[in-house]
Amino acid sequence: MIARFVNDMKKYFSYAKYSAKSDLKSEVASSYLNWLWWILDPVLFMLVYTFIAVIVFKSKVQYFPVFVFIGLTLWNFFSKNIQGSVKMVRQNSSIVSKVYIPKYILVLEKMLVNGFKMMVSFVLVVIMMLLYRVPVNRNVLYMIPIFVILVTTTFGISCIVLHFGVFVDDLFNVVQVLLRLIFYMSGIFYSIDGRLDEPLRSVLLYCNPASMLIKSARDSMLYATTPNLKMLAIWGAASVVMCIIGVKLIYSYENSYVKVM
Amino acid sequence: MENNIALEVKDLRIRYKCLNTFSIRQSLFRLQKAEEIVFEAVRGVSFSVPKGEILGIVGKNGSGKSTMLRAVAGIFSPDEGTIDLHGNSVSLLSIGVGFQRELTGRENIVLSGMLLGFSEEAVRAKMDEIIEFAGLGEFIDMPVRTYSSGMHSKLAFSITAILEADIMLIDEVLSVGDAKFKKKSYNKMKQLISDSDRTVLIVSHMSETLQELCTSVLWLHDGEVRMIGKPEEVLPVYEEFMS
Repeated sequence: MIARFVNDMKKYFSYAKYSAKSDLKSEVASSYLNWLWWILDPVLFMLVYTFIAVIVFKSKVQYFPVFVFIGLTLWNFFSKNIQGSVKMVRQNSSIVSKVYIPKYILVLEKMLVNGFKMMVSFVLVVIMMLLYRVPVNRNVLYMIPIFVILVTTTFGISCIVLHFGVFVDDLFNVVQVLLRLIFYMSGIFYSIDGRLDEPLRSVLLYCNPASMLIKSARDSMLYATTPNLKMLAIWGAASVVMCIIGVKLIYSYENSYVKVM
Repeated sequence: MENNIALEVKDLRIRYKCLNTFSIRQSLFRLQKAEEIVFEAVRGVSFSVPKGEILGIVGKNGSGKSTMLRAVAGIFSPDEGTIDLHGNSVSLLSIGVGFQRELTGRENIVLSGMLLGFSEEAVRAKMDEIIEFAGLGEFIDMPVRTYSSGMHSKLAFSITAILEADIMLIDEVLSVGDAKFKKKSYNKMKQLISDSDRTVLIVSHMSETLQELCTSVLWLHDGEVRMIGKPEEVLPVYEEFMS
């Protein structure tokens, strides 16, 4: 299976890349202000959550706007990909019913699109860190494994969701509710560390890949400390397992997807 | 002859399971398991096509023709039986491989070509030929959403016809576009077919076309092979059966 995966990746990655590029291009083409929304969207949501947390709940988190921005950047990538995967096969029925393509390539294509947007948003994080004069040290380098784990986790979960999305009609609603729940449990606009007591604190922080990754990213970028490496390693391994399960599911069932539609 | 076979299909069976999707809401409220209705579209079809042969496939609607072509194209796997392509590349020529509506015709050519398994360079090398054949004029640089349905299918046909594969599967596309393009595509088809290395499977309802193009004809009836042989043997019997 791994040999087939590597082979297919080689064969179809250039398609995913080109398709993602043209996706972004068509987004820009449909209206000239669209690329501005790649920047405006995270900035405006950052303002919304800053308002709620700082004014309403009187949060005292240091560098709060940057804190929210890091959370939103990672979260958006995670949730948009998973949400998009539920109806992925159905939405691409014109491709799926005409040619063979490994279905996870569709997930990959979407991830490249969202990944590009995440990078835009990430550049904004860096600019804000400069504005707030956040001190950094070599712990910033932990962002590299954090991004890798974010990508593998998202890919694994998306593949699994894509598979079940073909057969379960209302999975979209379920996934939406679940994602909303995880959003509130991931400490995007509040600090789980500062607000909750044990054992709830550890459960929320480490049993959920999104909150674990967001906390690690904040540790490494904002607080110049070393993230919890053991948890990163555990979730890194878990994400690889999820990828294997997802790709395996898709390989064994993808040829019956067309029959269901 | 034995080692010259391009495509071999053995005991092919393809089933569709109806009621395969379910919703969580439904299964919560109706606890009994939904009854599965299995429909067998292709029931034990075997045939082999020698290299360079043009096989016409006839049969009434719903007899499993398109299903079989799709299985040969690798879009879905057979439930039983085998399809051996002997390492040949295969492409299904049918109307519109997922065009992206916001993109121009030119970009869609690259995308579709890459979906068919060609590299970006290979598609670009053939780009001019495709554009010329499609004959869309300046529309080629306009978003596909502005195309009429005829232009849409002309572009789709041109892409698959110019980017050649060893085995071509043609599903009812001999009547694409206006009279002029129809003639052009028919001639292109003949030219593609006349290449003695290329193996072609054509699904069509037009007996005259098959009579002229094919070297043999397969008649599918309710998912089973009713007759296979020379066009002049099969087609008259089929015509009589249908009338």
